[in-house]
Amino acid sequence: MAAAMLLGHASCSDDERDMERPTITTEGITAQPAECDAYRIGDVIQVCYRLTDNEELGNFNLEIHSNHDHHTHSTSAVECDPDPVSHPDNPWVFNHDYAIPSGMRDYTIHEDIPVPDGIAPGDYHFMIRVTDRAGWQELRSMAIKIQ
Amino acid sequence: MLLVSPPDSVKTAQNDSTKTLQTVSVSARSVQAKTNTQNSVEVDATYLEEHFAGSLMQSLEAIPGIKAVAIGAGLSKPTIRGLGYNRMVVSEDGIKHEGQQWGDDHGLEVDQFAVDAVEVVKGPATLLYGSDAIGGVLALAGNRLPAAPLEASATLFGRSNNMQGGLSAHVAGRRGGFFYKANLTLSDYGDYRVPADSIQYYSYWIRLHDGHLRNTAGTERDARLMLGWTNNENLRTDLTVSDVYARSGFFADAHGMEVRLSGIDYDCSRRDVDLPSQWVNHLKVQSHSTLLLGVASLEANLAWQHNLREEMSEPLSHGFMPTPPDSLERRFDKHTFSGTLGLRLPLGERHELRLGTAAEHQHNRRNGWGFIIPDFESTTFGLYATDQWTASEALTLNGGLRYDAAHTAMHAYSDWYLTPTTGSDSAFLQRASEARRDFGSLTWSLGANWHSGNWILRLNVGKAFRVPVAKELGANGVNYHIFRYEQGNADLDPERSYQLDAGMEWNGGNVTVKVDPYFNYFPNYIYLNPTADYVEGLQLYRYTQTSALRFGLEAEAAWRIDTHWEAALRGQFCHSQQTSGDKRGYTLPFAVPPSTDLDVTWHYDLHGCGNLGLNIHAVAPQDEIVPPEKPTPGFLTLNLSASHRFDLHGGTLAVALQLNNLLDARYYDHTSYYRLIDIPEPGRNLSLRIKYEFKKQQKEPEL
Repeated sequence: MAAAMLLGHASCSDDERDMERPTITTEGITAQPAECDAYRIGDVIQVCYRLTDNEELGNFNLEIHSNHDHHTHSTSAVECDPDPVSHPDNPWVFNHDYAIPSGMRDYTIHEDIPVPDGIAPGDYHFMIRVTDRAGWQELRSMAIKIQ
Repeated sequence: MLLVSPPDSVKTAQNDSTKTLQTVSVSARSVQAKTNTQNSVEVDATYLEEHFAGSLMQSLEAIPGIKAVAIGAGLSKPTIRGLGYNRMVVSEDGIKHEGQQWGDDHGLEVDQFAVDAVEVVKGPATLLYGSDAIGGVLALAGNRLPAAPLEASATLFGRSNNMQGGLSAHVAGRRGGFFYKANLTLSDYGDYRVPADSIQYYSYWIRLHDGHLRNTAGTERDARLMLGWTNNENLRTDLTVSDVYARSGFFADAHGMEVRLSGIDYDCSRRDVDLPSQWVNHLKVQSHSTLLLGVASLEANLAWQHNLREEMSEPLSHGFMPTPPDSLERRFDKHTFSGTLGLRLPLGERHELRLGTAAEHQHNRRNGWGFIIPDFESTTFGLYATDQWTASEALTLNGGLRYDAAHTAMHAYSDWYLTPTTGSDSAFLQRASEARRDFGSLTWSLGANWHSGNWILRLNVGKAFRVPVAKELGANGVNYHIFRYEQGNADLDPERSYQLDAGMEWNGGNVTVKVDPYFNYFPNYIYLNPTADYVEGLQLYRYTQTSALRFGLEAEAAWRIDTHWEAALRGQFCHSQQTSGDKRGYTLPFAVPPSTDLDVTWHYDLHGCGNLGLNIHAVAPQDEIVPPEKPTPGFLTLNLSASHRFDLHGGTLAVALQLNNLLDARYYDHTSYYRLIDIPEPGRNLSLRIKYEFKKQQKEPEL
């Protein structure tokens, strides 16, 4: 038992464990989309957010889904004057995984997402998810509007 | 008495003269402490009655090292020394209990009111129980032979936190060679309450209506019938049919593709079950026979278990999956056929040989629009031999060997909807491919027990194993409860564990002290590793094998101050660490934080007899975490209990009251998957149980 305790402590001392989550921040950049931003069909959402991690970033994902039913989970407390509840047949679904080059601790997302023709205008959620190499995840969600 | 998985519990179950424990609050006692080389604790029905705490497992939590991971207010999953799910075995009358052990939100599919006695084995017990018994065994005995020609009882029970009400009835008897036992339990509960007005998941705020976790209400209906015959000499045989049905809601704000509020008005009633929800049915037919032949004894068990489970949720499109036509998200339909045969053969004065064999066949089919585990069939077969050698009055030695072979065949599965591939093409993506695996495992165990004067010392060393389950081998889908994508690995090896267990007990009459340390090495622990990758917008978790070390101890000191007062101090800690792979240096998931309990009990005799008890339960903070966990702060709860028994019209009336979390403390259980979604544990709760028991004492003339 004593040996086991020593073993446990020995391996604790060379602690290389990453205990920090990555962050999604707007520091030092003009972030887009911002909470309550409105776009028109045919516009391009020029996504710009900064991702940081204490050791190494993993990958990120961008997702846009309908909030016509007001399921309301924006991570910010802002209310964006939503349209009345509706259930359109052709909501916009965007879901894409992106790789971050290995070894990065600081990465700024620059992705252009055109708003396609034929989708239902109204309330949407824009979500950013990011992992780090150790498997920690952070996410951020914004309410946006398509006009 | 007779052999085969769990010989000791069967033995005790049939020995109806089980003494009521003097030490009620301190509770559980060691079984055969003077010869047993393993760490094993037994409690009887009286203990369970007086510690009624909502679910069977919660009633057993007073045993150091045993923990109930609560799933809502009335369901819980057992863990032994931090190992649960498929790393421990629950057996009922010698047959391994099948449910969805691998899942997060399944309690035990057992009628706790039909349990006569429970034996808990801490530490590996695969030698007698086969695959999965790495962490230990919870052996439930419900086939106690009725002693009286007629005995009957009725129990009313309720809990304040989730407005639970229920009743259980029991009737049993023995006339000549024939005996029977019937149980019926009904229970219904509402949404449970936590001491919080909102909870936070990532940075989502979920407001709670009056502290109620919306849609966690449910209902349970259990029935059990045993019929049997004995020649009152050397033969006993019985047949038991039991059915456990449960329907319950899932916490509505944490199920589905994301944290969301549905159009369903969950807050209009606290008792209704809306979507998402599940229902579970567990039907079991079991035959059990024992035969004494001179000094030898034989035991045979045959069982069929049918597990049916459906998870329902609002049909929603996700990614390229269109809106499904109905609310059947998943259906599991599992049949398990098991048989065991065991022989106990004393050889001379000093040796007792046990030989046994066990076989099991499983057949699992899935349905619904959500895919998580493939269809599979699996067959296992095991053979074992053990010898107990009474080397001297003081020293007992134990050794055994077992070989198991297992075959698992998994079926292919493809999506029911099209996913765009290259260009304008699209395909029904294959989620699982056909796979066949064969596993073999040799396990062994050696133990010694030495007792002298006030001392008992135990030492046990052994190897245990577990065959990977279908979810670990073949999962490939979204876990809707926890917003992640889970992927199995068809190449996983059987998990092995080497364990050294010790036990020291000093019994000085009114003072008893016990210390049980253990050390445990897994060359290839299977766990769900969060990766840096995304699949369909969700973080990918992949089943991986890593080497891991675990060690810890349980300690207990009990003091009988006088005939009325008793005090006990109990504590446990467990440390675990991954020693290879991606998460080297991290702990294993859901590491149990150190905890301690102080109990003070007052026994009194006044119009019958009773106990009053105070329990202080303190849990240390847990900072040993692995992604995606969060550190969990420590907490302290105060719990009160009172029980009283008195004679009434020739029967006994027993009343038990428990007040849990008296101060309505808001705290988190680090070992619960609810912790990951930031749901605190239930708030203050008052449980009441009233039982009236009647026995027709005079014996019928024997036939």
